[in-house]
Amino acid sequence: MSDYMIEFVNVTKRYGDIVANEHITLQIKRGELMTLLGPSGCGKTTALRCLTGHNHPDEGRIFIDGQDVTDLPTYKRNLGMVFQNFALFPHMTAFENVEFPLRIRGLSQSERREKVVEALKLVRLEGYGSHFPRQLSGGQQQRIGLARALVYRPSVLLLDEPLSNLDAKLREEMRFEIKDLQVRLGITAVYVTHDQEEALALSDRVAIMNKGRIEQVGTPEEIYERPGSQFVADFIGLSNFLEGTVTAVEGETTYLAVDNLSLGLATTAGARVGQRVLAFVRPNEVELAAPGTMSGPEVLEGVVEKMTYLGDKVDYRLRLGDRLMLRVQSGGTVRFKAGERVAVRLPMERCRVIGGGKA
Amino acid sequence: MNSFWHKQREGLITLVLLSPGLAGFFGLFFYPMLLTVILSFRPEGREVGWTLAHYARFLGDPAFRDVLGLTFSLAVGATVFSVLLSLPLALVLREKPKGNRLFRLSILLPMMMPHLISALGLLLFWSKRGWANLFLLTVLPFLKEPVAVNYTIPGLILFYVWLFYPYTCLTTLASLEALDRSIEEAAEVAGANRLRVLWHIVLPLIRPGVLAGSVLTFMMAFGAFSVPLVTGGNYRPLSVQIFTQATLYLEWSAASAMAVVMAMAQVTFLTIYMRVLRRPIA
Repeated sequence: MSDYMIEFVNVTKRYGDIVANEHITLQIKRGELMTLLGPSGCGKTTALRCLTGHNHPDEGRIFIDGQDVTDLPTYKRNLGMVFQNFALFPHMTAFENVEFPLRIRGLSQSERREKVVEALKLVRLEGYGSHFPRQLSGGQQQRIGLARALVYRPSVLLLDEPLSNLDAKLREEMRFEIKDLQVRLGITAVYVTHDQEEALALSDRVAIMNKGRIEQVGTPEEIYERPGSQFVADFIGLSNFLEGTVTAVEGETTYLAVDNLSLGLATTAGARVGQRVLAFVRPNEVELAAPGTMSGPEVLEGVVEKMTYLGDKVDYRLRLGDRLMLRVQSGGTVRFKAGERVAVRLPMERCRVIGGGKA
Repeated sequence: MNSFWHKQREGLITLVLLSPGLAGFFGLFFYPMLLTVILSFRPEGREVGWTLAHYARFLGDPAFRDVLGLTFSLAVGATVFSVLLSLPLALVLREKPKGNRLFRLSILLPMMMPHLISALGLLLFWSKRGWANLFLLTVLPFLKEPVAVNYTIPGLILFYVWLFYPYTCLTTLASLEALDRSIEEAAEVAGANRLRVLWHIVLPLIRPGVLAGSVLTFMMAFGAFSVPLVTGGNYRPLSVQIFTQATLYLEWSAASAMAVVMAMAQVTFLTIYMRVLRRPIA
């Protein structure tokens, strides 16, 4: 038995001149929920279609449960899939929809009935077997889709933006339901989405894709806390980017010149004077105070350009020095108004360097 | 009184606006049809009196029943083969192969050409020394004699299919292209191979479209006139028979009776057809 349930080995897929997937290599462990996350056009759907067999990669191999499936037709791959637009069979009842994969597999009627009832119970739609898809709400349709994908115990569950067509409240509810089912059944799952919040909430690991490549693979915490590139830092959560030149390294503190400001950072290994670096800080990690009340190498002063009240937090856009704009979010009440001067502390341990800046 | 006019105003305006259309409908469509029906009950050549003699004569005549049977067989045959031709053709065209636009346009060709021209062309093409036979004789070495197509029943069905399959093909193609591809993908992922996807998913979903198209083909084939007149030879379906009765024997009442029988047969058949095939689609 292979260690991994799914393996992409150097998969490349081109559409004419457009490279949709470029040397994708990815291993997904047994029982793990892996999310392919990225903006539209990043190649996540292409990768998924390579996995289902609806796309054939131009290069590379794909393994499911140790078996090379690259040339295997879709229907022999034993996958279960949930679609963005539900893709239920409109001419069949909910029961018949869920029964379909079992009928194709030639199970006896009593076996089919038993399994369908069980699957409908799993998605909490026991009484809805005789309904046609058009008689069900979006959330119910997607749960039938889930039951149809799970009823034959496929080796892998694929979810292609399954919540995009649902309204916000239902989306959050279904998110937990899907995660709960996946854990209970211990099934390996691949989840495709462009919604970072969904990805962070659901995934055991996330693969962030951009322009056909995988930018970073890691747990949601790793991705959020230690983004490997500017793209990842930008895509996951809000980020302020500070690009500057190292001016001095004094023990624990590295001094960075950003525009005409001097900022202290926690020293990272290999920081050299004169090096261009890119650091980032999350808007909710920045501390604000009245001018003159804080001091230190990590404290700067600025002016509030714009203040937006968001209910549970307040969003400030600050101007530091001449050009540097900084976005800060702080909880609670409005403390500063547009035009006021503020002291800004960029905590050293929260300003992380993500490699060299664009030269 | 005032309120009465007020209430009736909208209805009156509607009636006034509809009247040109209604006049056209009654004058050009309903009145001639009524005349035909009345004429079919008149003794031949008379303006007065009522008789069922024409109906009795035709319905009791085995030769007439043969004509009715022939007309049905031709129409049903043409419809069946049109569906059998349209399905694979539409399935291929849906994948948008190279040159499919030209092919799509060429489907319309039989609809754009006058049927008489098509019929004459087909006669020439399929004649004993026509291109079709020259080709077949060259390609198939076991073929010793040219294939007889013209003036045979299979030949007539072939011509009907060529002339009337576009109605079925276009509606089939339209319903196929309206299908959501992810539904088929879902069936594939669930374990169905292409044949089973076609059987369990695609065919049931496009059935209403195919049905609608085949009804059009059937009606065209049932009522076809110029094609069997030119290419039918001894096989004379109802429309040709009615034409002969009216213009050759000048028996207008008899011809009218046949026309009424033809219309009734057509309506009855179509009603049954729709009932049987059009189970409500979910």
